[in-house]
Amino acid sequence: MTEAPQNSTVHCDHCLQEIAAGSALSTVIDGQKRTFCCHGCLGVYELVRSQSLDAFYNLRSDWKAGRPAFLQVDPADFTPQVSSDGRTSRIDVVLSGIRCASCVWLLEKVVGRLDGVVSARINYATRRALIEWHPETVQLDEILQTLSTLGYTPRPGSQSASIEISAAEKRDLLLRFGTAGFFSMQLMLFTTALYAGFFQGMESRYRIVFQLISWALATPVLFYAGFPFMSGAFRSLKGGTLNMDVLVALGSLAAYGYSVATIFTGGEVFFDTTAMIVTFILLGRLIEAGSRLKAGSALTALAELQPGDALLIDEKGQATLVPVERVLSGELIEVIPGDRLPLDGTVVEGSADVDESMLTGESAPVLKTPGSEVYAGTSSLTGRLRIMVSGDARNTMLSRIVMTVEEAQARKAPIQGIADRTAGLFVPATLLLAAATFAWWMIAKAPTVTAVMNAVSVLVIACPCALGLATPLAILVGTTAVGKKGILVKGGDIFESVSKTTAVVLDKTGTLTRGKPSIVDCIDYGVSGSFMQHCASLEAWSEHPAGKAIAASWKNGRLEVEEFRATPGMGVSGNIGGQEWLAGSPALLERQAIPIDPECRRQADGFEKEGKTTVFVSCGGKVAGLIGLIDDLRDDAVEMIASLRAQGLRLIMLTGDNAGVAQYVAAKCGITEIRSGLGPLGKAEAIRALKAEGEKVMMAGDGINDAPALTEADTGLTLGTATGIALESAGVAILNDDLRLIGTLFGHSRKCFSIIRQNLAWAFGYNMVAIPLAVSGLLHPIVSALLMATSSLVVVFNSLRLRTF
Amino acid sequence: MESTFYLIGIGLFFGIAAWFLFQWAVRSGQFDDTEAPKYRMLDDDDENTPKKTPKP
Repeated sequence: MTEAPQNSTVHCDHCLQEIAAGSALSTVIDGQKRTFCCHGCLGVYELVRSQSLDAFYNLRSDWKAGRPAFLQVDPADFTPQVSSDGRTSRIDVVLSGIRCASCVWLLEKVVGRLDGVVSARINYATRRALIEWHPETVQLDEILQTLSTLGYTPRPGSQSASIEISAAEKRDLLLRFGTAGFFSMQLMLFTTALYAGFFQGMESRYRIVFQLISWALATPVLFYAGFPFMSGAFRSLKGGTLNMDVLVALGSLAAYGYSVATIFTGGEVFFDTTAMIVTFILLGRLIEAGSRLKAGSALTALAELQPGDALLIDEKGQATLVPVERVLSGELIEVIPGDRLPLDGTVVEGSADVDESMLTGESAPVLKTPGSEVYAGTSSLTGRLRIMVSGDARNTMLSRIVMTVEEAQARKAPIQGIADRTAGLFVPATLLLAAATFAWWMIAKAPTVTAVMNAVSVLVIACPCALGLATPLAILVGTTAVGKKGILVKGGDIFESVSKTTAVVLDKTGTLTRGKPSIVDCIDYGVSGSFMQHCASLEAWSEHPAGKAIAASWKNGRLEVEEFRATPGMGVSGNIGGQEWLAGSPALLERQAIPIDPECRRQADGFEKEGKTTVFVSCGGKVAGLIGLIDDLRDDAVEMIASLRAQGLRLIMLTGDNAGVAQYVAAKCGITEIRSGLGPLGKAEAIRALKAEGEKVMMAGDGINDAPALTEADTGLTLGTATGIALESAGVAILNDDLRLIGTLFGHSRKCFSIIRQNLAWAFGYNMVAIPLAVSGLLHPIVSALLMATSSLVVVFNSLRLRTF
Repeated sequence: MESTFYLIGIGLFFGIAAWFLFQWAVRSGQFDDTEAPKYRMLDDDDENTPKKTPKP
C-alpha cells in the first residue's frame, strides 16, 4: 500500500466519497489501482470481492456519494400530542428502528443529554419514547431531529389500536388480580383460624371479630376485583344467554350473601370461597392476556418492515422526504437502491431487482420495469425506481398480511373449545341443580338453613376454576418450556396440531442435508471456451444452493450477463456474449426444446446413482456440459429420523431433485418414502394428497422455497429462520438449527396435551363425584370450598410438571 | 389475650400498606416494561453527563 500523489481529488472505490488524493489509501487489486477513503471501505471491498460478488460495483449505477438523507421531521404532526403542566412538556412517540437493548441505551443517553431535556425513557417492549423537556430551553423539533438523525424515525400517533387495548386490558387485570391476591392472602389467615375454631371450638368474641374482618376483606375482592365477572354476567343475562361469568358471579355472590347472612344468624362463613373463585379465574385471564400481548409485539416487528418515510416527488420533480402517512394514492415517490419500498404502487420509471422474499417467500430478486407492480416492505437492490402510489400507508399488501396474522393469532386451541362449549351446558345445568337441591330439601321439610347451605354447596363445588385454568395454563407452561430450547410456537392451536401429527414430511435440501452442496464432478463437452467461468457468471445471481456453489467455485472475474432470469425449481438463464445460456434441471432445457443426447443422459444417470445433483448447462441451444454436486447429510439428521420413527410417525421425504439423488440420501438416513422431482407447488400438491389419505401432516422446510407446502400442511416448521415472515407461513420455527429439536417438540407437545386431557378429566371427574355428594347434603360448604380450591391447585401443579422435561 | 387484637390490627395495616404500594407501582407503570430494566442495570452512568439546567 502506498500513498497517492498530492494535490488532486480521487473517489473512494467503495463509497464514492470524494477525497484528497494525499489522504487516500491506494492499493493494487487485479492489476488495477484502487483508492479508498479508509480501511473500512477497503475491508468491505475485499470482502465483497472474496465472495466473487464484485458485480455489485457495476450494478449500482445510481449510487450517490455522501451521507444518507434523514427525514425532516415536521413538529406540527406531533404538537397535538404534547401535554404540558406549565413548566415542562411531555410527549409519547412511537420510534421505528429499535432492535435491541443498546438502541434503548443510546437513545436515552443522547436525548437525555440535550440541554433542557428532563427525562427520556424508552419502553423496549412497546418501542415508545416518553420524553419530558423544558420548552423554554429546547424545542420539540430539535429533539425529534436528534432521534431521526440517529436513525430512529419518530412517528406521531399510536401503535396498532389492538395492541394498545390489550396492554390497557392487561394492566387493568394485573391491578385486579393483585388486589384479589393481597386481600385473599389476608383473608386466608383469618379463615384458617375460623376453620380451626370450627373443629376445636373458639371463643365467640374472637369468632365474631374474625368473621367481620373476613367480610371486610372479601368485599373488595368480590366487588372490585370481581367486577368484570359481575358486569359480564349482567350483560350475558341481559342478552338472554348463560356463560361462565354467570356461574362465577352467582357462585361467588351466593357464598358471599350466605356468609353475610350467617354472621347475623350464627354459623360458618365462606368468604374464602368467594375470594378464591375470583382470584383463580383472574389468574387464568391474566395468563391469556399476557400471551396475547406477546403475540402482538411480534406483529409490530412485521409491520416495521414498512419504512416510516418516503421520497415524494412533486410536479417540479423536486424530491422531499415526508412521513409515509402524508403520501396519497396517485402521487409519485422515488426509491433509491438498498431502500425498502414504503408503499404499494406501479413502476413508472427505472428498473431494479427487487427482493420480495418477505411477501412471496421466493428469495431470488425479481426484475421490475415500468408497468410492474411493487409492494411496500420489499427492497430495491440495484436500481432507482419512480413509483406511482396505488394505495395509502394503511392499504398495502404488507398491512393485509399483518391483519391475516393478527386474525390467526386470535385462534384458540381447539381443545379449549371443549371447555367453553361445556360451560354453555354446564352453567344452566348447575343453576337448575342448585335450585332443585334447594327445593328438594325444602320439600323434605329440612330447616331453611340446611336447604340454602346444600344449594350453596352445589354452586361452590361446581365452580369452573379448574375447568377455566386447565387449558391455557398447560399451553403457556408447555410453549414456554419449548421456547427456552429455541422452539417458537405461534399459538395454542399450532401446539395442539403438532401433538396430533401422524406424518412428517421433510424437505431434503437444507433440512436433511446441509444445503451447501460442493462440486465434485464436471463434464465439459467443449461447446464453448472457459466453461466454468460462463457457468459461474450465469449463476452469480442465483439463490439456489447449487447455483451458489457453482458461482463460488470460480474466483477469477465474471462475464457480463444480460436478461438474467431465474425460474423457481428449474434453474437460471441469461445471455452471455450474445449466446443464450441455461443452467438447471433437464426440464428447463426441454422447455426450450434443447435436445439431450443419450450419452449425456447416461452420464447424468451415473451421477445420480452416486447421489450427485446434476446441473445441465446449455449454450446456444446445445448441451454444453454437466456439473455434479454433492450435498452432505447433516450430522443430526439420522438421530432425528430415528427419534421420530420411535414416536410412531410416518416419514416422507420431498425434494426438487431427481429420484437417484433422493434415493441415495433417503437410504443414508433411513427414510423409505420419497417424492422426488417436485417444484414448490408440487410439494404442496404432495402434502394435499397425504392429507386426503387422512394423515395429519407436519412439513419441515427452510421456509423460503417451501412456503406453499408449509402453508398447505397442518403444521409448518422452519429451521434457523426467526423472521416474522417465516412464522407467517409456518407455525413453528426452530431457531438454533438443531434437527433433534423436532423430536423434542413432538415429545413435549404430546405430553402437554396429555396433561391438558388429565386436567380436563380431573375437572370434570371431580364435578361428577362431588356434585351428587353436595346435592345429597353430605358436603358441608366448608368442605366443598376446600375441595374446590384443591381441585384448582391440582390443575396448577399438574400443568407445572411441563416445566421440566 | 388483648394483644391478639393488636396483632391483627398490625397485620392488617402491613397487608393494606403493601396493597397500596402495589397499586402505586402498577399505576405508575412499573410493570409496563419488564424487558429493558434488566439491561439498564448494567449501564454505567458516566460522570461526564452535562448538568441539565432547568429554568424556573
